[in-house]
Amino acid sequence: MTTTSTAGTRRASRSRLSRVESRQALGFMSPALVGLALFTIVPVGLSIVMSLFHWPAFGERSFAGLGNYVALFTQNPDFWPALRNSAVFALLYVPLNLVVALSLALALGPRIRGRGAFRVLFFIPVVTPIVANALVWKMLLQPQGLFNGISVSVFGVELPNFLADENWAMVMVVVMSVWQGMGYNMLIFSAALEQLPAPVVEAARIDGAQGWRMLRSVVLPLLSPSIFFATVMTVITALQVFAQPQLLTGGGPGNSTLPLVQFIYNQGFKFQDLGLAAAAAWVLFVLIIGLTAFQFGAQKRWVHYEH
Amino acid sequence: MRMRTPLLAGTAVLATLGLAACSSGSGSGGSDDGTIVWDMWSGSQSDTDALNETLEIVKKENPDVDVRLQTAPWNDYFTKLTTNMSSGNLACITSMNGQRLSTYADAFEPLTDADLETAGLSKDDFAPGALDIMTYDGKLLGVPYDVATMLVYYNKDLIEAAGAPEPAIGWSFDDFEATAKGATTDANAGFAVGLGEFQWMALPIAQSGKQPVDESGALALTDPDFVAASQWYSGLVTDQKVALPAASASDTGWGENQYSGGNAAMAVDGTWNAVTYLGNDAGFEAGMVDLPTGENGATSLVLGSGYGIAKGCEDKEAALKVLGSLVGKDAQDAMATSGRSYPARAESQPLYFESLDESVRDDVKAAFDAAFADVEGQRSTKNWDQVNTALQPNLVSVYNGQAEMADVLDQTQQQFGQ
Repeated sequence: MTTTSTAGTRRASRSRLSRVESRQALGFMSPALVGLALFTIVPVGLSIVMSLFHWPAFGERSFAGLGNYVALFTQNPDFWPALRNSAVFALLYVPLNLVVALSLALALGPRIRGRGAFRVLFFIPVVTPIVANALVWKMLLQPQGLFNGISVSVFGVELPNFLADENWAMVMVVVMSVWQGMGYNMLIFSAALEQLPAPVVEAARIDGAQGWRMLRSVVLPLLSPSIFFATVMTVITALQVFAQPQLLTGGGPGNSTLPLVQFIYNQGFKFQDLGLAAAAAWVLFVLIIGLTAFQFGAQKRWVHYEH
Repeated sequence: MRMRTPLLAGTAVLATLGLAACSSGSGSGGSDDGTIVWDMWSGSQSDTDALNETLEIVKKENPDVDVRLQTAPWNDYFTKLTTNMSSGNLACITSMNGQRLSTYADAFEPLTDADLETAGLSKDDFAPGALDIMTYDGKLLGVPYDVATMLVYYNKDLIEAAGAPEPAIGWSFDDFEATAKGATTDANAGFAVGLGEFQWMALPIAQSGKQPVDESGALALTDPDFVAASQWYSGLVTDQKVALPAASASDTGWGENQYSGGNAAMAVDGTWNAVTYLGNDAGFEAGMVDLPTGENGATSLVLGSGYGIAKGCEDKEAALKVLGSLVGKDAQDAMATSGRSYPARAESQPLYFESLDESVRDDVKAAFDAAFADVEGQRSTKNWDQVNTALQPNLVSVYNGQAEMADVLDQTQQQFGQ
């Protein structure tokens, strides 16, 4: 009896202590929580409310229910193209980025001379300001720019006006984005490559695996957690692309490179229809969350964690 | 327990304070404790210095009013204005560009004759057509401080080197084509087309005598004369090959940049850049003339910027007095002599030319006089911003030969015309 009662009191005092500790923890977190609430949760909530209203920047606001969403999908001539453009960009950019980054990481895997310098070189586009990168690329791609100049003087071939051509504009935006973003994923893959479990790799080598077989059956599955991480992050940033199309092509020619985020910006700040902009932003959110959830669900199939 | 209540209470108080701070209530109209705030754009330190000089003049003329200047770079200014409009936080005196007035018209308080009298202004003070800049939907929404119109700027060196006929005041479209053709060589083009709203529309408007918005205020992009003139304009690139195609839809300043970089012999731009082109970095000798005269005369738009009183301004009388000083004789004279802009006040206009170098003074004055001789106010629609945002990327396709000008104008008319 005494044993049970002491055990009972010990359990009670432990849970009381943990309650006190959790309240103290809450107190210490409160400054960060208040910041999170003010600058993230409240604006997000407000934007949901805004998307349900006709909300011009100045003037009468009226409740619209799902009117904004309906207008987006049925009436607005730029919304479907913007959605299509963001999707096309993501479809082109993500595989290309991953393949290029992975190839670079594998190429810079063995301890060759100057490996560190190469890694820095490939990472520089990631850290240079994207505005500067886009403007320099725009100058290079002009008919009077470097690419056309070399092509005409050395090969005698006149290159198309890339950024003003309806078909080439998106391709060039993707190319520039891959150039800019490949260093980041390359670094992630390089770090993962260095941490491949040596016993597994040695055992595979003893069993006779080498080159392509080693890559396909051993290295890639071991790398799959980082590939998964890189894919998820790259898809999210690809769907949120704004700076490259805005600076390189301004969304043109026509609306062939207008991404969804620029559509949102135009609606909100140029045309002052904040309700419609908020609605489009929430469509983007649902799209991104849906894709991310899908990827997380699919990871059971192809991602191999070590334990 | 002991720690429980104070901790919880502390968190609750912090949160409430935070939320209360962010919901800082109804618009103050930009004047707290009687300060009149003047909101203006400023591209550089020299712009801000010039604005501060104007502020000093205003303060001297109104010693009992506390005036404060707040600035933002040009592009950000309008984004900030949108944000301020939606939070009800407009400055009492808000500067506005005439061409964007249609978008922001709701933010301004219409000015009556009595208001102008309080400000110490009269409609006759201003150059003809100047008040149209700040008029929308029949209401005067502000007073102009500068007037501008479009000119054709040309590179004297390039034209002389190519042996092309030099543009002269009162020239015709045939003369224009002759100069453009003559100045086109392998190294540079005779003309550079524009992507900006006024830069590209100026020549079609001059040739057809029609604005893309008709007299009733309805969008008229498909008017046959305007369409024909616009097709001629884009044909300069695609058919006559005397102009460079634009490289990208984000190059809003395409034509002007090509001109100032010495890649094109001519470009259309506003009088506001006259002083900049005269002292250009590339080092060529710049000349300017009015737009070519078409069959229907020389139709040119008067553009410019001004100051207005925002709705919800608490101390309207003080704001009106400040407004009067901002476009009063002293402030306008100061602006004219510094060469920053061509003033809207008629009596201050001659001072602008005196700030220029003697060697160019007469030519510039002749060009300005010819250009301003026959101007009309710009007509715009409520969704004019959207029209231009839709047109600009499509223009790139037209210049690149992948779309037809008539189709683009037709589509835009269908999308935005009522």
